[in-house]
Amino acid sequence: MGIGPSTKETTLHHFRDPLLDVATSDDDLDVVGVMLVGTPQDNGDKYFVGKRAAAWLEAMRVDGAIVSCDGWGNSHVDFANTIEEIGKRKIPLVGMTFVGTQAQFVVTNKYMDTIVDFNKSEDGIETEVVGENNVNQVDAKKAVALLKLKMQRGGR
Amino acid sequence: MLSSVLILGQMIHINKRVIELDNRKEVEMRRLVIKSYHMEKIELGEKFSIEGKRLILTEDFFRDKINKDLIDNIELKVINPYEHDMYVNSIMDVIPISTKVLGDLGEGITHTLTGVYVMLTGADVKGVQMAEFGSSEGILNEQLFLDRAGTPCKDDYIIHVDVTFQEGLMSSRKYATEGHRICDLFIQQIRNIMKKLPGREYTEKHEYYDKIRPGKKRVAIVKQIAGQGAMYDNQLFSKEPSGFEGGRSIIDLGNVPIILSPNEYRDGALRSMV
Repeated sequence: MGIGPSTKETTLHHFRDPLLDVATSDDDLDVVGVMLVGTPQDNGDKYFVGKRAAAWLEAMRVDGAIVSCDGWGNSHVDFANTIEEIGKRKIPLVGMTFVGTQAQFVVTNKYMDTIVDFNKSEDGIETEVVGENNVNQVDAKKAVALLKLKMQRGGR
Repeated sequence: MLSSVLILGQMIHINKRVIELDNRKEVEMRRLVIKSYHMEKIELGEKFSIEGKRLILTEDFFRDKINKDLIDNIELKVINPYEHDMYVNSIMDVIPISTKVLGDLGEGITHTLTGVYVMLTGADVKGVQMAEFGSSEGILNEQLFLDRAGTPCKDDYIIHVDVTFQEGLMSSRKYATEGHRICDLFIQQIRNIMKKLPGREYTEKHEYYDKIRPGKKRVAIVKQIAGQGAMYDNQLFSKEPSGFEGGRSIIDLGNVPIILSPNEYRDGALRSMV
């Protein structure tokens, strides 16, 4: 369905998440919050929650967003949809997920042009080793740098 | 003449506002202090206690607390640093041991232990693994990538809670949920002692502020989290940091977007159940 052992984020990962650390330590950014959005089973529900996430971001008047996903396969359907809804609202964004060779996107759209792939395995696969294909400081720095570039170039 | 004065007046007015905007200072809304206490020795014994840098765990804690409808047995082990050459069932979670000492999640004071983390593993009585999309059972050395944000370091202790579920463990959320619940009940015994640790005898102290930074780029972090069923679930806003009790499942919340302040997230508002 969606989250394999090597990409899943443990409770410890959330407690010391490198993405939050890097983003909140950047003097150019005002990190307004962390939005959690679930991944429902039903396709209609997937579109619903993705759209609600984008509507929230618009209402919060954010200049940009980093969208991260610790699953792949079916989870990339939700990921693509949420990104599309945010992109349609002209909010610059950067996506982060595991792609490698095994998890090429099942669906894609024009707003998925800036994705940080946090695969760490040599073969680009779901290795079933817990913690292996997780976001680290370097991935987080890449995402923040790319978002800053995108915000500077266009959008708002 | 008059109009140009007016225009000039407006310009000055506008310029003033711009200057004011740039000069607006950071607004600190709430403070979170996380104090860490480093443990250097973990032992099994009779009664939960912390003596200096030594943590003692009640060896038979689980004996009379198992819900036999869902769980057959729970084994408690202490894995010493560098001793990872052993078989484990699929890794359900790695959990920090933290507790609120003052205030609610996201503000006040939190105590956390370093040098030791809890690892929850699970399979059923027939060896079927508690996992949803690939499983991680095997030799710990090969199945756990150490030194990542979400995993222990090589020189950390691991408190290993291994749950043997009854058959049918992936048929419903209640099995995985019960595993997390009972593991949390165990961690709560450690938390209760940690609440009384002397406030000045910490190993490290970190201060974090939820703040507004006027004039800076407003950015949100969006995290897509699992919300469908067994081993594909997340719990939010438990009573204790990275805890379980009192939390709400994202499934029960309808998977709709929920907003956390950076400090709420940093203080363990999200419990992973994937």
